[in-house]
Amino acid sequence: MGSKVEAVDVNKQIKHMMAFIEQEANEKVEEIDAKAEEEFNIEKGRLVHQQRIKIQEYYDKRLKQVNLQKKIQNSNLQNQARLKVLKAREDHVYGVVEEARRRLGQITSDPQRYGPVLQALIVQGLFQLLEPVVTVRCRQADLSLVQSILDSAVRQYKEATKGMNVQIKIDDTFLPANVCGGVEMHTKGNRIKIVNTLESRLDLLAGQMLPEIRTSLFGRNMNRKFDD
Amino acid sequence: MAQNNQGIQHLLQAEKKASEKVAEARKRKQRRLKQAKEEAQAEIERIHKEKDANFRAVESATLGDKDKMAAQIDLETRRKLHEMDILVGNNKEGVVQQLLSLVYNIKPEMHPNARPEKLGA
Repeated sequence: MGSKVEAVDVNKQIKHMMAFIEQEANEKVEEIDAKAEEEFNIEKGRLVHQQRIKIQEYYDKRLKQVNLQKKIQNSNLQNQARLKVLKAREDHVYGVVEEARRRLGQITSDPQRYGPVLQALIVQGLFQLLEPVVTVRCRQADLSLVQSILDSAVRQYKEATKGMNVQIKIDDTFLPANVCGGVEMHTKGNRIKIVNTLESRLDLLAGQMLPEIRTSLFGRNMNRKFDD
Repeated sequence: MAQNNQGIQHLLQAEKKASEKVAEARKRKQRRLKQAKEEAQAEIERIHKEKDANFRAVESATLGDKDKMAAQIDLETRRKLHEMDILVGNNKEGVVQQLLSLVYNIKPEMHPNARPEKLGA
């Protein structure tokens, strides 16, 4: 009778122990599963976050490059446009000087005005040379006019120099026909030469007058800070 | 004591089953962690594609209107040139006249430092 009760007891105990073992295992499994899930989330989040930052940096940098490229593009376009305008300006200035050059010779058909001009050119040359003997070379067409004003020229020179005399010879060789007007003067056997033709005067003047020409043509440049 | 043997057998079996369960759970955990890498990779790819598409859209918008800008600048330049032509047209004659009158207007002057008395004619 005793062993029967013991047997049932033992069975119960064993059943309890088995249940206990199973329960422990289940708990352990639950733990492991929970931990697995937690670590899964952490790891996935970490990896994504890490790469997200890199990707963002990468595209930020490329965007910067694109914007820079655009700025350069715009700047180039603007530059080209400005150069176009500047070139047109210079072309206009050149055109004006050329027009003056074309009309230079007009005065030579009016002896009333041309005579005094010739005289002044010669006197100016005399003042520069300050020599006792001077040769004047003019155009063949101007020969008689030059001869007619020579005396006045000498007189003007004498007065200004307080008594210095000068002997003016007219050269056998004439200025070529493509010269508009004016004279060349030389002395000491061609060693000192002064070119006082209408062309040379225009060239000199045009060069010196460029600022004024520009202002007269285009108006004062509001961007300019220094005028001297 | 046959029950004892049986009992112990049962217990041993239960232990074995239990440790198998736990081992199984551990394996699951490893697989889950591997999955994390794979899913992260997929997510990263998605983000990359998205950002790339965004970027390309902005890029072509920014650089694409080069022609528009060029046309705008060209229009402005033409306007400036036209204005200049008109200005010059108005002023050219005056300037030419001024230049010519300067050419013809000669005032011969002695050099300020020259002393003719000393030159000995």
